[in-house]
Amino acid sequence: MRIAADILQALILILGAPLVRGIIARLKSRLQRRRGASIWRPYGEILKLFRKENLVAPTSSAVFRLAPVLLFSSMVSVAAFVPVVHASALLRSGGDFFLFVYLLAFGRFFLSLGALDGGSAFGGMGASREALVSSLAEAPFLLSLAAVAILASRADIAGIVAWTLQQSVFNISAVHILAFTSLAMVTVAETGRMPVDNPTTHLELTMIHEGMVLEYSGPSLALIEWSSAIKLHSMLALLIALFCPWGMAYRVSVWQLLLALAVYCAKVTFLAILVSVIESSMAKLRMYLVPDFLGVASAVGALAVIFTALAKR
Amino acid sequence: MNLVGIATGKVLSSFSVFLFLTILLLAVARRISTSILLFSLQSAVIAAEVLATAFQQKLPEAYVVGILVLLIKVIAIPSAFFVLTRRLKTVRDVKASTTPTQSVFIVAAMIYLSYGAVHSYGQAVHVPDDALAAAVSLILTGAFLMVSRKKALMQMLGLLVLENGIFLAALITTFGMPLVIEIGIFFDILIGLLLMGIFAFRISDTFEHLDVSRMRRLRG
Amino acid sequence: MLIRLAGAAFIFLITALGGLVPLILIIGRAKVARRLAIVLILAANTAGCLVAVFSFLQEPAPRLVLHWVTPFYFSLAADRLSAFFLLLVCAVAVPVTIFAVPYFDLHRSEQRRRWIWAFFSLFLFSMIVVVTASSGFAFLAGWELMTLVSAALILIEGDSPERRHNVFIYLLMMHVGAAAVAACFFLFLPYSHGLDFEAIRAAGASMPGGIRTMVFLSAFVGFGAKAGIIPLHLWLPRAHPIAPSPVSALMSGIMLKTAVYGFIRFAFDFLGGGPWWAGYVVLLVAAVTGLLGILYAIAEHDLKRLLAYSSIENIGIIFLGLGTSLIFLTHGAALGAALALIGALLHAFNHALFKSLLFLGAGTISTSTHSVDLNELGGLQRRMPFTGVAVLVGCCSIAGLPLFNGFISEWLIFRSFLAGSSLVGTKAQIILPLMVGILALIGGLAAACFVKTFGVAFLGRPRSARAERAEEAPFGMRVGMWLLGAGCVFIGILPGFVLRPLVSLVQVLVPGAGVPEETLSIARIIPWIAAIVIGTSAVAVLIKRRERITRTWACGLPELSSRMQYTSTVFSKPIRFIFAQVYRPDRKVERLPSDQPYFPVSVSYRSVRTTSYERALYRPFVESVVSLAHRLRRLQTGNIQVYLLYVFLALVSLLALLRFER
Repeated sequence: MRIAADILQALILILGAPLVRGIIARLKSRLQRRRGASIWRPYGEILKLFRKENLVAPTSSAVFRLAPVLLFSSMVSVAAFVPVVHASALLRSGGDFFLFVYLLAFGRFFLSLGALDGGSAFGGMGASREALVSSLAEAPFLLSLAAVAILASRADIAGIVAWTLQQSVFNISAVHILAFTSLAMVTVAETGRMPVDNPTTHLELTMIHEGMVLEYSGPSLALIEWSSAIKLHSMLALLIALFCPWGMAYRVSVWQLLLALAVYCAKVTFLAILVSVIESSMAKLRMYLVPDFLGVASAVGALAVIFTALAKR
Repeated sequence: MNLVGIATGKVLSSFSVFLFLTILLLAVARRISTSILLFSLQSAVIAAEVLATAFQQKLPEAYVVGILVLLIKVIAIPSAFFVLTRRLKTVRDVKASTTPTQSVFIVAAMIYLSYGAVHSYGQAVHVPDDALAAAVSLILTGAFLMVSRKKALMQMLGLLVLENGIFLAALITTFGMPLVIEIGIFFDILIGLLLMGIFAFRISDTFEHLDVSRMRRLRG
Repeated sequence: MLIRLAGAAFIFLITALGGLVPLILIIGRAKVARRLAIVLILAANTAGCLVAVFSFLQEPAPRLVLHWVTPFYFSLAADRLSAFFLLLVCAVAVPVTIFAVPYFDLHRSEQRRRWIWAFFSLFLFSMIVVVTASSGFAFLAGWELMTLVSAALILIEGDSPERRHNVFIYLLMMHVGAAAVAACFFLFLPYSHGLDFEAIRAAGASMPGGIRTMVFLSAFVGFGAKAGIIPLHLWLPRAHPIAPSPVSALMSGIMLKTAVYGFIRFAFDFLGGGPWWAGYVVLLVAAVTGLLGILYAIAEHDLKRLLAYSSIENIGIIFLGLGTSLIFLTHGAALGAALALIGALLHAFNHALFKSLLFLGAGTISTSTHSVDLNELGGLQRRMPFTGVAVLVGCCSIAGLPLFNGFISEWLIFRSFLAGSSLVGTKAQIILPLMVGILALIGGLAAACFVKTFGVAFLGRPRSARAERAEEAPFGMRVGMWLLGAGCVFIGILPGFVLRPLVSLVQVLVPGAGVPEETLSIARIIPWIAAIVIGTSAVAVLIKRRERITRTWACGLPELSSRMQYTSTVFSKPIRFIFAQVYRPDRKVERLPSDQPYFPVSVSYRSVRTTSYERALYRPFVESVVSLAHRLRRLQTGNIQVYLLYVFLALVSLLALLRFER
């Protein structure tokens, strides 16, 4: 029964990902006083792309064709790490956060290679900027997760969530506030949202992720779009699970799981509103100010780790 | 326990966390108005702590101190600052001489240092480590702001944050400073600010700017 | 009975590589002599692997000792630690030898080839002597031989003033390191009966603290100079790129690990941990080494120099694990020390595998395109698909991606950092988890660096005519690379096979350690992740079917040339800009004619990167040594009577010493 619930969690993360994207896009349009597309639009897009054919440049090799597949499979495995409705996940024991972060890096590595294989300047530009952002984002990512893990004295994500569930809501912990700040900044950088990268543009001045996927079309592009949606959803789910998991089911029973699912939907919607408000109100950072942004995230993450030893709370 | 009791308990156990947050945000703040707001938030946290301790330890004079802090440092001084910035028509930017990353690392090092410094003292006086470390960090942050921000208004703000730290440290270690001394300190600060405000006007009139790094004519 | 067989195999290994092969090559002139020599090398190395595996499977660990009483005591033994490094040497030597056969056939004349193979065999012999030495003399003899033979191999490749200068620097720094290593051994002399490892181990337990500190420091400096920690690494990017590729693979893959072996032998086996600050010093130096190494690697566009700097970075990671282990040892936490040590040892093994693979790939590229400049390559994946896959496996492993071996060892070191939070004492509780951030930064930069390397070299369009005419490598070269790649993938997906023997090895080095839980949990979960990733990929590949070849889109730009692609220099520009304080190149822009700056006829740009500590540290040091030498020159007056005066003065002072000694 627990395995069924875990598989269900992973499926929620994978299949519900385009919906989260749709909600954010619609909220942003409303904030910009437009009507906006339906929140189910991304599903339509992905299905439409699957029906089309792949256009491949003559100079590309097998890496170009395989990159979206490997990116998608690494995102699927990442989705199996995060608890959604109860404090357990498919890859539970031994599924620690280092593996989570490096599986994300695995997908990103092959996406960058695919971008370079396109043979145009845009792929190289996107890959080079992505190399800058991702190499600087790894440190705060791991530092903030390490701080939370030290407090919980375990490293597997499901275990940390279980530990957090046992803490009282009203105990304010400096480590958690600092780790949340750092992780939220890293989420913005890793998923390519404002103010680090603009996910809705195709101008060469402003694109990092979009530049890398410029050459892709058809089912490959569908897989890539879906993968970036899964990444966003998984990171939002990680933020919720690590810092505000109360509301998750304690026992694996149908009613409790449904209730937990409703609570989770409310939390994700709240985070989506937050993301859209931030995206609509901030301008994109200049390229060479992004390392500063990530530097602040690293410093806050380092402070979180320092606090685990000093304040122990 | 009633709600107020729980609330005071929570305030007392976690106010240092909020103070650290305001310190970090001050380190990365880019605009003068943001810094002023953060200072008033800081003072609000300190006022809350004073009021909570007053409630828990049943000291009536402490209520007066808390209300004073609230009126003067949370409302009066920040409003005066806002009025000052508008009248002086200064540019909004804080003109920091360190990048935000460097500032946060320096502040992190200072927090680590303050924890190390108060550890042995805190054990001797039976005072929680966090609160004392927050006070020392406030002092160091005030000094850091004065050193690294080039706008004269930020120097004043740095001094105010420094004074916040001293006030908090005195409060924690000797709770029950006589009321007279507290009022005296407040008046000191008020007069000092008044003088600094007058000077700021004169400097701005004479030099047409308030950038401290450009006032080097005193060099021999 | 099996012990006898293992002993015979060991003797065969030593005599074949050390004596038989060079003899055959020097005496025999026919091609069949060379073929026989190569077969002997392969057979000897395979025998070495079997000996190593045998030493592991036996409980308790056997010692195979051969010693003959020459003027000095020369003794070899294969206990568990030596067996591990013996396996490292032989397991990497086999594919490299297979690669080297067609490589040297293509590149060298018949006569040169005999000498190259003779030195190759002697090089392997010297490294095996170093890791299996069990007496000080054997160790130092092997150490010296390693340096000399590798210098010979570099010089055989070609002779030019610049090469000779680089070899000179190499020999100089290696001898400084060897002096420190010799000092380590000789410091034990007053306390032990001889320089046999057994005697040294017994003496190490009862030495005074001051001597132990000096032994630790000279071991760190001596072995660190050989391993390439900063700031003693100056020789590495000069020596490794100019050697022939199989030799570079051996130097980077195996020779650096012999230094790691020496350090482990001294710090863990003989000294049992070192002074309390030892771990912190090692940790700090390792962090700087790793960070600076990868930053210099990213800025390179010469493939072999890039790989050399990347070796420096990986040595930094290995020493991060060793430093952490030392910190745990001083706190008495045996389990954490075991975990960190396992991580460091596994990373040494993994690095040997994937760095050799990458150097062999560089050799293949230079054979096919006669260039190792990344800015001239491109599109090689289509022309050399098998080589490309092998190099891709190497790049993924070195970037530390899951499902490849680099990830397992880095993961173990990360987990040991996390375990540091459970130590007593705020210092360790803060510093060790903060190292997570540093290793994360190093790993992130390494991934970026190797995206650049593989992407610019193998993907996209060819950037020069040479890259357009590249051809797939000969079969032998491909087999060598694929063997190493298969090893990387095997350890990456099924790490349990390597972790269990490592645990038993570390339990000898760190007395009282149990089995760290992390080694079991990672071995359990990685196969599942591999199953998920491979399964999903298989499903996804089956879904995408139709494909049409058309032009590159590039937002509708009409004609794309290969010059419009990103080159290696441009790719690394953002990172170089952010870390500009590290690089500080000397830039010179020249506009001609100089009196008309806005209407130049030609503009030239020159950027020279001299590493900043070269300027700040080495040059003043070298200049002071040279000036000291100049001043000492005055002692050589050329006058015979002055020299007789020196002899007389020496006699007088010795007599005075004798008198005051009384």
